[in-house]
Amino acid sequence: MKRNLVILTLAALMVAGLSALVMAEQVTLRYFMWDPEFQDIEAELIKGFEAENPHIKVEMTALDPNNFWPRLAAMAAAGELPDVFSMSTGYIDTWARDGLLMNIQHLVDRDVDPEKYFYNVFAEDRFPNKETSDMYAIPYAWVGSVLFYNKDMFDAAGLEYPDADWTWDEFRAAAKALTIQSNPNRPPEQYGFFWYGRYAQVEPWVYANGGRILNENKTRIAIDEKAREALQFLSDLTNVDGVSLPHRDLAGMRQQDLFPLQQVAMWVDGSWMVDHVRNTAGDSFRWGIAHVPQGPSLEAGEERSYYWPDSVAIAATTKHPEEAWAFIQYLIGANRPVETFMPGKVPIYRATAYSEEWLSKDQQPGNMEIILELGDTPVRTTFNMGWSEWRGYASTGGAGMNGELDAVTNGQQTVDEAIEKITRDGNVVLERYYPEP
Amino acid sequence: MRYYSKVSPWLFITPTILGLVFFRLGPIIGAFLASFTDWNVFSPPEWIGTANYVELFNSSTFWLILRNTLVFSVFYVAGVMVVGLFLAVLVNNRLRAITFFRGLYYLPVITSTVAIGAVWSWILSARFGVFPNLLANFGIYNVPSFLGDGRYALLTLVVVYIWKMSGYHMILFLAGLQNIPEEYYEAAKIDGATRWQSLRHITLPLLSSTTFFIGIIALIQSLQSFDITMAMTEGGPNYASATLSFFTYINAFVHFRMGYAAAMSFVLLIIVGIITFVNFRARKYWVETVD
Repeated sequence: MKRNLVILTLAALMVAGLSALVMAEQVTLRYFMWDPEFQDIEAELIKGFEAENPHIKVEMTALDPNNFWPRLAAMAAAGELPDVFSMSTGYIDTWARDGLLMNIQHLVDRDVDPEKYFYNVFAEDRFPNKETSDMYAIPYAWVGSVLFYNKDMFDAAGLEYPDADWTWDEFRAAAKALTIQSNPNRPPEQYGFFWYGRYAQVEPWVYANGGRILNENKTRIAIDEKAREALQFLSDLTNVDGVSLPHRDLAGMRQQDLFPLQQVAMWVDGSWMVDHVRNTAGDSFRWGIAHVPQGPSLEAGEERSYYWPDSVAIAATTKHPEEAWAFIQYLIGANRPVETFMPGKVPIYRATAYSEEWLSKDQQPGNMEIILELGDTPVRTTFNMGWSEWRGYASTGGAGMNGELDAVTNGQQTVDEAIEKITRDGNVVLERYYPEP
Repeated sequence: MRYYSKVSPWLFITPTILGLVFFRLGPIIGAFLASFTDWNVFSPPEWIGTANYVELFNSSTFWLILRNTLVFSVFYVAGVMVVGLFLAVLVNNRLRAITFFRGLYYLPVITSTVAIGAVWSWILSARFGVFPNLLANFGIYNVPSFLGDGRYALLTLVVVYIWKMSGYHMILFLAGLQNIPEEYYEAAKIDGATRWQSLRHITLPLLSSTTFFIGIIALIQSLQSFDITMAMTEGGPNYASATLSFFTYINAFVHFRMGYAAAMSFVLLIIVGIITFVNFRARKYWVETVD
């Protein structure tokens, strides 16, 4: 009896001890993401991760971007950042500089096979140097700028669809042919093209001409001659040829509605607009996408595409870096289903991006591989610290470089005047973030 | 007397005092101190002395926005008071359906700002807007872009703000109007006064204390203008329709420049303070009461 009691007591102690061990290893990760629309699908993804990693539990919070950043900033100020969170290219440099993000380079080197991912896209998550520095976040998706065109309008005008060899002159001639104005007293009913100062619409033209908006180390605005040529080309489309709507006439509507509502025949914007055009236009017309035409001054070896990632980062303060990294690998890899990507947003994992489901050949535009091709050319962007301020973004979309270029489309100033103001005012901002040594 | 010691009144006002200290005075002092720092929220603030104020006064954008703020305030305060008084006089009678009209004029005050912004944007939109298309039917084509052209955007916003807020001031004026004894009007009528003379010599002087109050409220509203601006123009094009409160928000919560934004809010506080002080001092020269 006494012996049984000893055995029972020992067994109970062992069970308690093991439970305590398991309890001690149970880790809870807090994960903040910025897309409540995909909350349910991500919850499924998290369930899969938890099933494979029973000792890790993930608590997800989804906030839309307007609430996401102020909340995250407040948490950062309090030293309470979640373990894992979505990270934007526009903020990564500032957050990395302020020591809020974990350097994940050693984990990437250890666990990530570059062949399986769009590796060029990783560059934007490096800090401070986009080519050689360490990574402070890792992309789960990326987007790039493409040329949207209305096939019905091209057919009606008897024009060939845009192809990879299109020159700027051919583009310009097509834009003229696609502009229809029946009453000279009124604005055209149909414009051949639309552009305004927005980054996703301007930078692709600059880079397609081999131009630069920033200096080599991206610390000052230094708009070079090739970039100036691209801006002049865009300006002439509006002010000389009248084939693009001036920005002032956009008031009261959303720029992204012009193309799907068949107000314009061509439009350059981010590839995520595929989703918007599909939803807004439905099957009311046929459309396709193409690369932004290469400019006359582009030299061999200067080819750069404009694309940028949506990323996930680990807080520098996390107590569970390995678990957070395991979760991130799950979030960006083969397990993440296509449904978690808005059409036009490219999965960073190649196999998912090249899947039939993502390419969706049965839906317009039918040639989504155009977007994937961008990811295989080297990248160039204008993102740096202070970017949203000098470039003009989100709530300040009417200011900064955006505002100055919008004024060009309104005929209120010349390209050279705009460049002078962009450089002067933008460098005041950048001097704060990158003081002279 | 023994039930009410000297401490009793203090006990009753303690919650209010605590609220004022912690939720008003505390943040004001905190913001004042923050205005001398470089603080992006996620890193500890760094003391930089008066650098934010120096940058502010050297910024051409700040002066543009200060000018916008003053223009906005002048037109808004004048407009909302004139329209508010006009509506109040209109609805200050005993017609059968007058409650309906009072409610109708008040409706924009309680209507969602986002909805107002969207609807007015559609009305004024240069390409698809109701207004330009209406004019086009009469052969008028070259209508300016009211929201997209920097020359008109600010004043267009003023009109929309006046449209939204006039009902609120109408109610305040109406309360003032109903405080004026009917006998004064009857006496004036017997003396042969016209309606204009009654308005000029009875209504306006006896309404002056209400007008004074409304003036201050409207001024504060004008300096806090934000929501419709955000919904309709986002301060654009190129800050042409941005005012100080909007610019403060942008710097604080978009650019995360808390110190700079705090400096700006203090400039705004000083402006409001000066105008209110002048208004109070001038009060004795033009404000009359029924008594």
